[in-house]
Amino acid sequence: MLTDNAIMLKVKEGDLDRMGLLFERYHRQLYGFLFHMTYKKELAEDMVQHTFYKMLKYRNSFTGTGEFVHWMYTVARNVLKDEYKKMKRAQLHDDVDNISDILPGGVHTGDMYDKKEAARGLHKAMEKLSDEQREILTMSRFQELKHQEIAEILNMTEGAVKVRVHRAMQELKSIYTKMES
Amino acid sequence: MKCEQYQDLFTDYINKQLPAADKAAFEQHIAACPACAKELKAFQQVWDVLGEVTIPEPSADMPMRFNAMLANYKASVTEEVSVWDKLKGQWQQLWQWQPRWPMAYNLAILVVGLSAGFWFLNGNKNADSEKMKTLAAEVHELKQSVMLSLLENPSASERIRGVSYTSEIKHADKEVIDALFATLNNDPNVNVRLSTLDALAGLANHPEVRQGLVQSISQQDSPLLQSAIADVMLKLQEKSSVGSFRELLKQKNLDKGVKQKISKTISKLI
Ligand SMILES: [Zn+2]
Repeated sequence: MLTDNAIMLKVKEGDLDRMGLLFERYHRQLYGFLFHMTYKKELAEDMVQHTFYKMLKYRNSFTGTGEFVHWMYTVARNVLKDEYKKMKRAQLHDDVDNISDILPGGVHTGDMYDKKEAARGLHKAMEKLSDEQREILTMSRFQELKHQEIAEILNMTEGAVKVRVHRAMQELKSIYTKMES
Repeated sequence: MKCEQYQDLFTDYINKQLPAADKAAFEQHIAACPACAKELKAFQQVWDVLGEVTIPEPSADMPMRFNAMLANYKASVTEEVSVWDKLKGQWQQLWQWQPRWPMAYNLAILVVGLSAGFWFLNGNKNADSEKMKTLAAEVHELKQSVMLSLLENPSASERIRGVSYTSEIKHADKEVIDALFATLNNDPNVNVRLSTLDALAGLANHPEVRQGLVQSISQQDSPLLQSAIADVMLKLQEKSSVGSFRELLKQKNLDKGVKQKISKTISKLI
């Protein structure tokens, strides 16, 4: 099996169809990231397409020195930035009340119910984080990226990532605790 | 280290990103400090509950949309390539469509038109004129394919349309002629058969078409067709049809009007 980087380099050389392979491999992961950053399914899906479009268009900026995934996140973050510019955050998050749609299903009893309730609350708390904090927490918690990988994507030191993830967690916990009480 | 410094490591610890060396000291402190242990537990809870948050399944049509986007993008990129290669590309696409898309015929005409215009503007290039010849040959082939596929269409009007394309095919080959005869002799619709007869009359310069028409005389049971075929034979002055007409006259249930017409035709042919 070809590595992501080898495939992307072929795309860069003009074999555009190969991008399909990378789409297959990463569109769900990317969707997950963009969903957490917008909480809008359709918007997140559109942004996945847009990210892949930009990767095609700016394929020459892929050097192959770093991992493809990191470059993908960099492109996705630019798409996200453009989107944030277009929409005010208030509008972006106006359907947060539909949060039950995005929580795990299950019977409304016992532990399941509590977890569901808790997740609902946490999700609302996530909303209250700054975009930067939500982004770094999403990468760390949902995308399960290593600090070193996040450092590469966000173009900062590993130490800075550590501190920021932790601060985001502290902030989330404190917002959550306030909401609970 | 102070409690605060240990608490800065909570996220790393939960996240399993704490180096092994630090981990031992960290765990030691937690075991000894109830305040930090309590705080860590709260952190762990938040982290765990975050994991419970699921996201809606992405739509199943995402790969399809990607493919459409990719095709679009590729099309926009080829604009950088020469006009000729672009035409050629469109042409090949048409070629893939044609068995199912009679419309491709019209598009093919368009492509030829465009190419001709392009060729005219760049008429001094010999290489392009060679390419034009190739293209013209391919278009000719396409016309035939479209026509053949139309002849198999369940709709009679589509079959008639297919037959009418015959007039645009300069050099009908055996495949086309065979298809037309199959239509003339077997099509359930009289109007389709009549148009086919008309189309074949236009191809009468081919000896095998004349021969086929003569053989077809005995196969027609509709008075309309029998009468029309008599007209064609007379027009073509096809004397070899006389035998077939005589055979036809022997049929008991032959229409009276047709009988008269055929007798007249025979007398005019000999
Ligand atoms: Zn302590």
